Amino acid sequence: MPRSFSFLFVGLVAASLSLLVLSSKDILALTKCTICHGKRELRKIQPTGKLVSLYVDEWVLQNSVHAKQACTDCHSDVVEIPHKGKLVEKVNCTRCHYRGNPAGAPQMVKYTEYAESVHGIAARAGNQKAPVCQDCHGAHNVRKHADPQSGMWRGTISETCGRCHLEVYSVYRESIHGRAVKEGKLDSAVCTDCHGEHSIKSPENPESTVYLTNIPQTCPKCHAPKGIASKYGIKTGQVKTFEDSFHGIGIKFGMKTVASCASCHGVHDIRAADDLRSTVHIKNIPTTCGKCHSGANINYAKGRIHVDPKKKESGAIFYVSFFFKWLTISVMLGLLAHMALDLSRRARERKR
Amino acid sequence: MRRNPGKNTENDMLRELDLDIEKTLRDTIEREFKGKVSTELEEKLREKLKAELSDEVRNRVLRIKEELEAELSKKEEKPKEKEYLRFGLSFRIQHWVLLGSCLVLIITGIPLKFHETGWARVFFGLMGGVKTSGLIHRVGAAGLGFVAVFHVFYTFFSREGRHDFKELIPRPKDFLDFLTMVKYFLGISKTKPRFGRFSYVEKFDYWAVYWGMVIMLGSGIILWFHNAILRVFPKFVADIAREAHSDEGLLATLAIIIWHFYNAHLNPDNFPMNWAWITGRITESTMLHHHPIEYERMIGEKVAKGMKESENVKSS
Repeated sequence: MPRSFSFLFVGLVAASLSLLVLSSKDILALTKCTICHGKRELRKIQPTGKLVSLYVDEWVLQNSVHAKQACTDCHSDVVEIPHKGKLVEKVNCTRCHYRGNPAGAPQMVKYTEYAESVHGIAARAGNQKAPVCQDCHGAHNVRKHADPQSGMWRGTISETCGRCHLEVYSVYRESIHGRAVKEGKLDSAVCTDCHGEHSIKSPENPESTVYLTNIPQTCPKCHAPKGIASKYGIKTGQVKTFEDSFHGIGIKFGMKTVASCASCHGVHDIRAADDLRSTVHIKNIPTTCGKCHSGANINYAKGRIHVDPKKKESGAIFYVSFFFKWLTISVMLGLLAHMALDLSRRARERKR
Repeated sequence: MRRNPGKNTENDMLRELDLDIEKTLRDTIEREFKGKVSTELEEKLREKLKAELSDEVRNRVLRIKEELEAELSKKEEKPKEKEYLRFGLSFRIQHWVLLGSCLVLIITGIPLKFHETGWARVFFGLMGGVKTSGLIHRVGAAGLGFVAVFHVFYTFFSREGRHDFKELIPRPKDFLDFLTMVKYFLGISKTKPRFGRFSYVEKFDYWAVYWGMVIMLGSGIILWFHNAILRVFPKFVADIAREAHSDEGLLATLAIIIWHFYNAHLNPDNFPMNWAWITGRITESTMLHHHPIEYERMIGEKVAKGMKESENVKSS
């Protein structure tokens, strides 16, 4: 046996041993922690008198995106086991999730938007109820958002938001968007589609996607002709007709006293126009328009609401548009011809 | 032609004059004082007289020359061409208000129709937002409405207005004039049609404004007072009003910018501008050129008036 071979053998043994030690480290740590935290009955009483379970389900952790992490990778304030009743702080995700981190934790610019969001600002201001990462993404059960088990999955995300925004969620659940999601049409709008994710801002903030003057850019993300609404056979012409209306032009140039999509269709309670409870049901039109237009009555429902003068279905308006189009063309051609003849005759006169 | 003799000839002339005076003086003094006084005295006398006289004459000549020159230059100014009043003050004021209102309405209205363009955004920015521009638009609308109402009264209750309105009613002759004009343009006919007080082009402009006023004011009032209107009328009425307002607004704008500007400004006959809308006056030659029938009618009236006057003089 050549010497080099024996060296290699020793090296391999050392390497595999060290690998074993390294890989068993987290298992070791986990087993160490689960001595206590693996017990279902482990709980503590908070000063408020609230019971908090301290049980950690190993299975949940093994199936999360953090399966490879040791407990102390996140709970870095635990330096000895047992930690003798020392309070364990809430985990700070940015320990790993920052740009250029060596741990290989995903880092997107999106995360930094959280700091400027209504949630981030409230959390920084010390509001205990304001959500931090774990409140939405989960603690031990963090999964990829495409995973139906994740709280961030399109099918369940609205429920996740609803844990805090219960009233809004209960309204949304009955809306056309909420029902569609329930039926498994995951393209339908969920909270984050309108409000944003990490960048959620108050509707009163002009930068918010649901600020009055920004609504006409938010709804078309789905309802424009190229949006997913067309996939479901939903009419998409309303975006253009709204933009051409006095409401649309007013909003576009910064007026705050004109209707946006939500002013008429509702916000979380959007329903189909043939739904009796819809704000745009023919019976409710006077009330809806009456929010701004004094003396609104059933006349407001006589005629199309979203009118496209270029479409035959608009009836009289189409014919008015058609008439003026041809009147303008023919009159202008006639006048231009008269001018051209006049000038050409003058030019000939001058040559003589 | 003004004669402007140069400085040299003038001086030569004056020098000759001096010589003349000297000669005459010499002769006169010799005749008068021959032998009566010493030659020395004669010399002195002559010198003195000569100095005085030549000064006097010199001044006179220059003064008279100036006077004559001034008179000549006055005569050489072209005699002012005879002018007639074409539009009375009331008519002109109506046009001014109409012009101002239309400009305001176009500037604040057209960007609404083309709201998707970049220049529309610039316009609204300059006007201080869409709300302010809407306010300005309504001021213009009030001006337009005022002209419309005033003009109806003017048509009914003023002699001038009634007369002009009658003149503006289209007649078969206008259509024939139009055909003649086209023939003339194409070189088929050698002569232009002879127009009266208003040519078919002017009549077209007038009735185009009539049509525009009815459409724009009618639909504009519906849009302005939409809340009140919609209490009584269904929504599609407001939609029709909006479509008609938008489309007719564009048509009117194009007609003004292309057709009316050509006729009133760019047309070589009028370039840079037909001033009648400001002064109200029209020169005799323009009158003869553009409105011969009207001219003849006016002259005829004058002659008839003259005959009547002379008859009155005879009978008295």
